[in-house]
Amino acid sequence: MGFFTPWFLAGAAAVGLPIWLHLLKRHKTDPKLFPSLMFFEFRETSSVKHRRLDHILLFVLRTLMILLLALLFASPFIRRSAAASDGKKLTVVAVDRSFSMRDGDRLARAKNQALQVLGSLKPGDQAQVIALAGQVQALTQVISDPAALRAAVVAVQPGDSRASFGELARYLRTLSEAQKIPLEVHLASDLQKSAMPAGFADLRLAPATTLVFHPVGGAEKNWTVENVAAPRRVFDPKRVKVQATIAGFGTSATKRTVTLLLNGRELQSKSVDVPENGRAQVEFLGLDAPYGFSKGEVRIDSADSLPADDHYYFSTERTDPRKVLFIDDGRRPRAELYFRDALDSTGDGGFQMETLRPDVAAGATLSSYAFVVLNDLSSVPGNLESSLEHYANAGGSVLVSVGPGSAVLPRVPVLDEAIQTSSYAGREGDRFLTVTDIDAGHPALRSVDGFNGVKFYQAIHVSAAKSRVLAKLNDQTPLVLERAVGEGKVLAFTSTFDNVLNDLPIHASWVPFVAQTALYLGGGGAEQPVNLPVDSYVELRVGDSQGAAAEVLDPDGKRLLSLEEAVKARNFALDREGFFEIKTAAGRRSLVAAHADRRESDLTPIPPETLDLWKGTGSIDSSPGGGPAGAADAADKPWGLWPYILLLLLGVAVAESVVADGFLRPSAPQRDEMKREAA
Amino acid sequence: MLQRFLDPNVLAGISGLDLVARTVVDGFVAGLHRSPDFGFSQEFAEYRAYTPGDDLRHVDWNVFARTERAYLKRYRGETNCQLTVLLDCSRSMKYTSHTIDKLEYARYLTASLAYLAKMQRDAAGLIVFDDEVRNFVPPSTRQGQLARLLHAIEKAEVGNRTDYAKPFSHVREFLHRRGLIAVISDFWEPPEQIVNTIAPLRFHGNEVVLFHVLDPGEIRPKFRDPALLEDLESGATLEVSPEYASKEYPVKIDAHLEEIRSKAKGAGLDYFLIDTSRPLDDALREYLAIRRGRM
Repeated sequence: MGFFTPWFLAGAAAVGLPIWLHLLKRHKTDPKLFPSLMFFEFRETSSVKHRRLDHILLFVLRTLMILLLALLFASPFIRRSAAASDGKKLTVVAVDRSFSMRDGDRLARAKNQALQVLGSLKPGDQAQVIALAGQVQALTQVISDPAALRAAVVAVQPGDSRASFGELARYLRTLSEAQKIPLEVHLASDLQKSAMPAGFADLRLAPATTLVFHPVGGAEKNWTVENVAAPRRVFDPKRVKVQATIAGFGTSATKRTVTLLLNGRELQSKSVDVPENGRAQVEFLGLDAPYGFSKGEVRIDSADSLPADDHYYFSTERTDPRKVLFIDDGRRPRAELYFRDALDSTGDGGFQMETLRPDVAAGATLSSYAFVVLNDLSSVPGNLESSLEHYANAGGSVLVSVGPGSAVLPRVPVLDEAIQTSSYAGREGDRFLTVTDIDAGHPALRSVDGFNGVKFYQAIHVSAAKSRVLAKLNDQTPLVLERAVGEGKVLAFTSTFDNVLNDLPIHASWVPFVAQTALYLGGGGAEQPVNLPVDSYVELRVGDSQGAAAEVLDPDGKRLLSLEEAVKARNFALDREGFFEIKTAAGRRSLVAAHADRRESDLTPIPPETLDLWKGTGSIDSSPGGGPAGAADAADKPWGLWPYILLLLLGVAVAESVVADGFLRPSAPQRDEMKREAA
Repeated sequence: MLQRFLDPNVLAGISGLDLVARTVVDGFVAGLHRSPDFGFSQEFAEYRAYTPGDDLRHVDWNVFARTERAYLKRYRGETNCQLTVLLDCSRSMKYTSHTIDKLEYARYLTASLAYLAKMQRDAAGLIVFDDEVRNFVPPSTRQGQLARLLHAIEKAEVGNRTDYAKPFSHVREFLHRRGLIAVISDFWEPPEQIVNTIAPLRFHGNEVVLFHVLDPGEIRPKFRDPALLEDLESGATLEVSPEYASKEYPVKIDAHLEEIRSKAKGAGLDYFLIDTSRPLDDALREYLAIRRGRM
């Protein structure tokens, strides 16, 4: 037995308190005044002893309470030898079903190894079967039924996820804490090096955990399509470039044939020289995609035992340039000119700008536009503002330029923030404002280089009560604000798009700013990628738009969401390779291509010395002098006694209350007397 | 109806000893009027022939008009009544087991006696003592004497322990005329010592009355648990068991009271035990009844 915090035992000295209360204080407390003691006699046997006997139980309880309290804080524990805990242990059989286990017959061999381990169990031995992929899946509870355990192993199917030994170690630590008996873990895996976590500490095992490896693979040469860069949207098929990276792991230099397929149709094929244990890039020019979503694939000829990574899926969408509505009242013609030129100069030409007067725009169907720009409008018709709000709530995006024209309005349209004052600076000398604070990670401001060198001569001060400020001028005037409205979003620029209030349009930052803002606003919600590795999450809704149903179809065309999930789920995990058709709650459709994590293609195993170190974390020598790790049988586990002491303390406290109430409560005559004394 | 106001608890709520004394005595006198012989007031005693040197104010001019002879009208009360109250204000007088303590009760009693004397035009005086004489108001019938007495009674506060020997030797020096001496105390001393100290007052022809004021908690103390008692005067402490307080103590205190009573009687002193829980006029009535031998 020992104590975690033995210095708290000093608190036992407080036991002097009840001793003082019961044995010392009683002679001095509460003397009753009496006119004369001439007829009283000292009778110890009848007074002091009587009292002592009356309070002896209370004294004992109080002393016990203090001792227990000190003991509780000192946290006593006893060492329970893990190996000697009735000889019991829990056998955990972990079968790796990650993507790399598709290589050859690795999974079959792993299952065989697992079955052999289960076959060696004695009747009544407790065991559990788990599967290791992106997350650890418990295929059985802790049971001793050999048939159920074997059935669970047989049922293991290969997956597309990436193995994570860090996750496995975390699961084993939790299991050890819950079961409180030694674990014997059998890991049937190809022990890929790429499955190791970033830090070795994440592999730490609980004490008294024995780890036994059953390797089923080794370093094998493997070629893979490591990456494909294809545009998300195709506006002009002839201008599209598709780039593919072919990688070889443990391979010699060789020539591979790379084929580009779209919707199962072979478009182009090229030959590429892949260097020894290196990478090569292939570029396909032109992508003859039909209108709508297309399922793309880059494939290499198979020449290794892991053909599953010889192809790479990607998704693209052929569409017409999306229309951008530029609402302008004609007061700032140069703003329209600058904005249109910047939009046209974007690489893929995916946007087509249309300019309308406010009164005409009020009658337009806004949902057909990718986003809407309000160019410093001095008045916004009521029906236009309401249709803009409706448009934003349904997932549309609005860019508002707030200049001197808008300054006459009380609030920024749609953004619904108060317009306060105007910041002025002169054109002469150094009297201009610059951008000091900027959220450079925001998609709309990622490549604007912090508006470096851009001079702002006037900006409108807009309050940011509900909005997020993305950029500020050096006088703390918010320059770019963003606010989510329903499923959509509103971006406000508190200056103008011409070169009167600032020189941004004639600055290098202008085109990236307009292009990225257009992509951000016109992309629909957070522009989430459509080419993702397995185990990634796809966002289905951004606001609290419950009631609007989302929809997910798996590669086989089956609906994956239940009705409840369809109206409540915020995201969805891609659990296998293939194309998933997604419809978000905002109604936007996309085709997401999921591919296996290419780190799984590197079949290099973990070095044996690393495996030994990992095994050693599960056995701790508890001898005071320390010793070499690895003596799992000798591992002692401290067993805290505090819950029992706490229960005992509570019981004693209750007993003390009851006894004290019986002894010390004044009788009715005494209470009357006390009242009289108080009066 | 008036009786309700004579309860000690009610009297304690009345501010001003004057009003307390009037309440007690007026009610007490009103009660006595039903009696054929009410005794202690302006009672006609006799006529005596005028001799030169007598105070002309006492001549009965009606008799003189009818008979042309001067007679003095004499009253019984005027014969020898000079009342001196000795009020014990030792620390033990502060004890109480209910609302009113012994000193307060003694104050009311003293004020009532003084008021009674004033009504009879008797000279009344006061000596306040503990182990010393703390205050002395000489007996007088002058105007404002009652106010002086009440003021002195009001000022009487608990002092030290009781010691009868020293103050009573002084008292003998103060008392030059015969009269009535009332000693109001709790008499927590051996009976023999008390009587031996007080009895010499009788030698000058004085009539001495002992008012033994005790709290009911002193006569029959009630303890549920063993208690630590502290002597109010000496400060000594003692553990006392409830069994002792309920069995042995009553026997001893009863013997003590009986001894005081018998020794006082033997020494020619009137003795009267007053329980502070009793109405004050009851105590006075009983005392007068004893005095008149009508008990």
